[in-house]
Amino acid sequence: MKKVTSIAAALALLSGIVIAKEVKIGVVLPLTGGIAAFGETSKRGLDLAHEQNAKLSNGDTVKLVYVDDRSDKVEAASAAQKLIDKDKVAVILGEVASSNSMAMAPIAEKAKTPMITHASTNPRVTKGKKYVTRACFIDPFQGAVMAKYALDNGMKKAVVVTDAKQDYSVGLSKAFKKAYTAGGGKIVKQVLINSGDKDFNAQVATIKAANPDIIAFTGYYNEAALLAKQARNMGVKTPFIGADGVGFPELVKIGGKATEGFMYTDHFNEAAASSPEAKAYVEAYHKKYNKTADSMGALAADAYGMILNAMNACVKEGKASDDKECINAHLRNTKDYKGITGVISINEEGNAVKSAVVNEVKDGKFEYKTTVNP
Amino acid sequence: MDLQIFIQQLINGASLGSMYALIAIGYTMVYGVLRLINFAHGDIMMVGAFLTYFAHQLWGMPFELAVVIGILGAMLVGILTDKIAYKPLRDAPKISLLITAIGISFFLENLFTVLFGSTPKAFKAPEYLTKIFQINDIYLPISVIIIPVVTVLILVAVLWILFKTKQGIAIRALAFDINTVKLMGINADKIIMIVFAIGSALAAIGGVFYAVSYPSIDPLMGIIVGLKAFAAAVLGGIGSVTGAVIGGFILGFTEILVVALFPELGGYKDAFAFFFLILVLLFKPTGIMGQDLERGRF
Repeated sequence: MKKVTSIAAALALLSGIVIAKEVKIGVVLPLTGGIAAFGETSKRGLDLAHEQNAKLSNGDTVKLVYVDDRSDKVEAASAAQKLIDKDKVAVILGEVASSNSMAMAPIAEKAKTPMITHASTNPRVTKGKKYVTRACFIDPFQGAVMAKYALDNGMKKAVVVTDAKQDYSVGLSKAFKKAYTAGGGKIVKQVLINSGDKDFNAQVATIKAANPDIIAFTGYYNEAALLAKQARNMGVKTPFIGADGVGFPELVKIGGKATEGFMYTDHFNEAAASSPEAKAYVEAYHKKYNKTADSMGALAADAYGMILNAMNACVKEGKASDDKECINAHLRNTKDYKGITGVISINEEGNAVKSAVVNEVKDGKFEYKTTVNP
Repeated sequence: MDLQIFIQQLINGASLGSMYALIAIGYTMVYGVLRLINFAHGDIMMVGAFLTYFAHQLWGMPFELAVVIGILGAMLVGILTDKIAYKPLRDAPKISLLITAIGISFFLENLFTVLFGSTPKAFKAPEYLTKIFQINDIYLPISVIIIPVVTVLILVAVLWILFKTKQGIAIRALAFDINTVKLMGINADKIIMIVFAIGSALAAIGGVFYAVSYPSIDPLMGIIVGLKAFAAAVLGGIGSVTGAVIGGFILGFTEILVVALFPELGGYKDAFAFFFLILVLLFKPTGIMGQDLERGRF
């Protein structure tokens, strides 16, 4: 009897070792290029989540395959293609910028590979797609939050500054304008910039002439910092309001004192972390990196958690952990996932319905102001 | 548009134009002696800015010394580029030189990406360069006055070198006919090295000015500025130093004024610079100053 049981035990162990396999998640991030800061912080959050949780319930190991798309949408598309064809990943995680995610989405859709973006907020990323999900809110909501916050603070005249090169900015500006004018605000001027530009003196002159109560800026941190600096240099004292593209230490490093009072909407602020998941994440992040836990990293960690959630659900159903259809179904049907950035539920369009926070730059730090629920 | 604001934009345009002018001079001088468009030149500007940043903010040296280090470093990079990449190809077809220049450009960009990371860095300039002063309703950072003034002084210095010194005669002779010059026993390689040194030093100064005006530096900052400076050099007449400066100022003014007068077109301001270039190439390829290289005028 003993012999049989020991052989049986050995066989079971062997089969366990043989069956446990490696499941790959392809990660496309801007690790270099104009928005490298987003990519770097996303990777930090993702690595932390992966470190804490790299195995599925059936013993399979999860592997992250990183590809740097250099902040370029053409590279993002080819990165997605490579991950699907060559690395045979089960899921794609990425990207940050909506322009880049939109380049990847059709490729994932065609290959029936589930894709989840942790931070792209332009609604067109998931529109009409069955295989693309996102872990964050979308810009119609974010624009409305920006508009409401401005109006609630008595700012009735706005100049909108849009980054013409970024789909994120164009979409968000549209959303802001719609909500702002619906709420009784008046858009006195619309100004365009390009990401990569450094000189905004002409735009600042236009803003100065329009004399608004608030300047709504929907682009990224680098341009925000330079714009704020040049505006203050030219004697424009109007406050700025931005969105999740500006909430980075570089905003203050480059913009200096000119960014004091810069308000912006975001997905997460570690100071407002109240749930046990959020607190644990912030603590682990501080311990590992000794830096402030920002929204991109938290969102990436949440996207990772959602993927593992889906994979484990598939395993429970008796399916393979890299069954793309099954993973996609579970991702799209995520309900009440207790994430770091909030409780995440995905609606029929593949978007998350979540709260936004509003922060403000004070003494060079990002101070939490309030949370706005959908 | 308000007169005050118009004047302010003119001054901004002059400042931006000066930076283009400084870099354009380097393009035009190298073209003059080698008939090579040195596409790596914009990246020399980046090298100058980064070395200054490195010396001042990471090594803690005083700003002035850091600028000198930046200039010397850029000169070194320029001279080395010539020695390693362009000299072996002196007798090769021009296309090989062009490809090599582009290769050096990629190399410098990626080297600095590896060394410094690609997140933009905050460039800290001393108070006396960034102070804002106010006349009526016009606010001007003091740099916007300093930059054009220094540029004109540098232009005068370069022209003096070209027309009043022996090396200057040699440079102009090289631009005129390189083979005869060699037959005359002049060390052409040494003269070419001087040209690269001057051009790179100017680009580094332009880079520092650019970093002072727009204090966010990244390894790819030289690309678009370099392309525009090249457009400026062609606009002014490639091969002519005065032309490069004129072209630089024209480009700087147009860029600022287009956005000031038509803010809805702000997204297309780069298009205007290159549109100019296309017009010039179509109708007067020799540029504003005309190609006086054949007559030995610089």
